[in-house]
Amino acid sequence: MRILAVDDDPIILELLGQFVEIIGTHELTTADSALDALEVLEDPDTGPIDCFMLDIQMPGMDGIDLAKRIRETARHSDTPILMLTAMSDKRYIDAAFAAGATDYVTKPFEIAELTSRIKMVEGLAHDRQLRTKKIFAAKTVADQSSHVELFEPISIYDVENVIEYTAMENYIAQLSRSALFGSTTFAFTIREISAFHTALSSFEFYSLISDVAEVLSDTLVGHQFLMSYAGNGTFVCITESGWRPDMSALMDAVNFELSQTELFDNHGERIHPRVSAGDAVRLIWKSGNSVMDAMAQAHSSAEAASLAHTRSLTDFWHIDQRA
Amino acid sequence: MTKIMAELPGIDRIRKRFVEMLADRQTQIASHGLAAWDGKTVDEINSNLAGAQAILHQIAGSAGSLGFEELGQAARDCEVRIVDHLAGPDADLAICPIELISALDSFVAACRTEIEAQA
Repeated sequence: MRILAVDDDPIILELLGQFVEIIGTHELTTADSALDALEVLEDPDTGPIDCFMLDIQMPGMDGIDLAKRIRETARHSDTPILMLTAMSDKRYIDAAFAAGATDYVTKPFEIAELTSRIKMVEGLAHDRQLRTKKIFAAKTVADQSSHVELFEPISIYDVENVIEYTAMENYIAQLSRSALFGSTTFAFTIREISAFHTALSSFEFYSLISDVAEVLSDTLVGHQFLMSYAGNGTFVCITESGWRPDMSALMDAVNFELSQTELFDNHGERIHPRVSAGDAVRLIWKSGNSVMDAMAQAHSSAEAASLAHTRSLTDFWHIDQRA
Repeated sequence: MTKIMAELPGIDRIRKRFVEMLADRQTQIASHGLAAWDGKTVDEINSNLAGAQAILHQIAGSAGSLGFEELGQAARDCEVRIVDHLAGPDADLAICPIELISALDSFVAACRTEIEAQA
């Protein structure tokens, strides 16, 4: 795996060089500033980069802006990015995830922590290569047989505050290491997602998920949040700002926006996705796995609300026929 | 001492370089501290405090990995004090709190002690 490490402190770059040497088969390229890193990336002689390690606080362009610039390039839209940060940089961590970071490593470094992050990245690099191939194959031939599974978390690019599901899991993991006052998780599920999945091609389905993500992101604008598509039509969100979302009002706002957005399939037929909202689950007093459990609770409550809505429509017609 | 210290080959060379750089860095921190203390305008004071903070941030980030945990923590404490001041209500006043200068002075002294100990 080829790693590009960017840090303005030469000591950190030397430490990373030594670290990469002892863990084996990786190759490290270094840059001492964001601009230097961008030059490395623009150099046609630079080979493929499989992982970035970016210091957050650097003079000039910081690691967060660099992560954004990296994500803007098609080549690195899903390349794992590990942020290098001090514990006191918590205020920057949200911004780093929103900019496209996959995870972060704290300074001072511990070998065990660095090793586990690199292993995670190795697995991701492999998985993402497969997934990216699938999505881009679907984009080029809209109705071909390449298949995105219904339950599969799909990476969505260029939608504000939407991050990959793996990054969301890592974000949740870091949340459990810190105070959770003011943190709330909630979710939305696209109603009758299974029917959309059956009727649409992979590319159409991907486009539907991206469009709904954009509407959700636009509706939540003004609030601090991160969101991820977890598969099965469900978007999970988390906020740390102390905001207590009114899920019923939010659902209405999202569905109103969806009704105003013209979405079409490849045959020019208009499609009408709507969402159901689950419970807003506060994370206060939760830690470790129970934070993930809270997210799962928000997730399943949104899916249950979606099913209940579909069932209520069916029940309505039964009642109507009896009447 | 962190695990990275014991397990990395070439760590002695990196430690040596860190100590060499520390001599320059503590001088820069002292210069920024003095300039902030003597500063007459908000910009002069805050830019020098930010300059000191950037160097403290670097020391805090690497010292602990090289076995200088106390120095790293002291750098982090000074850094947080400056960050809090620059984000606080007095940041738009031409004031350089004596507590900040005192903290920087103690840190510079700790750097000198460490440099002498490693000589």
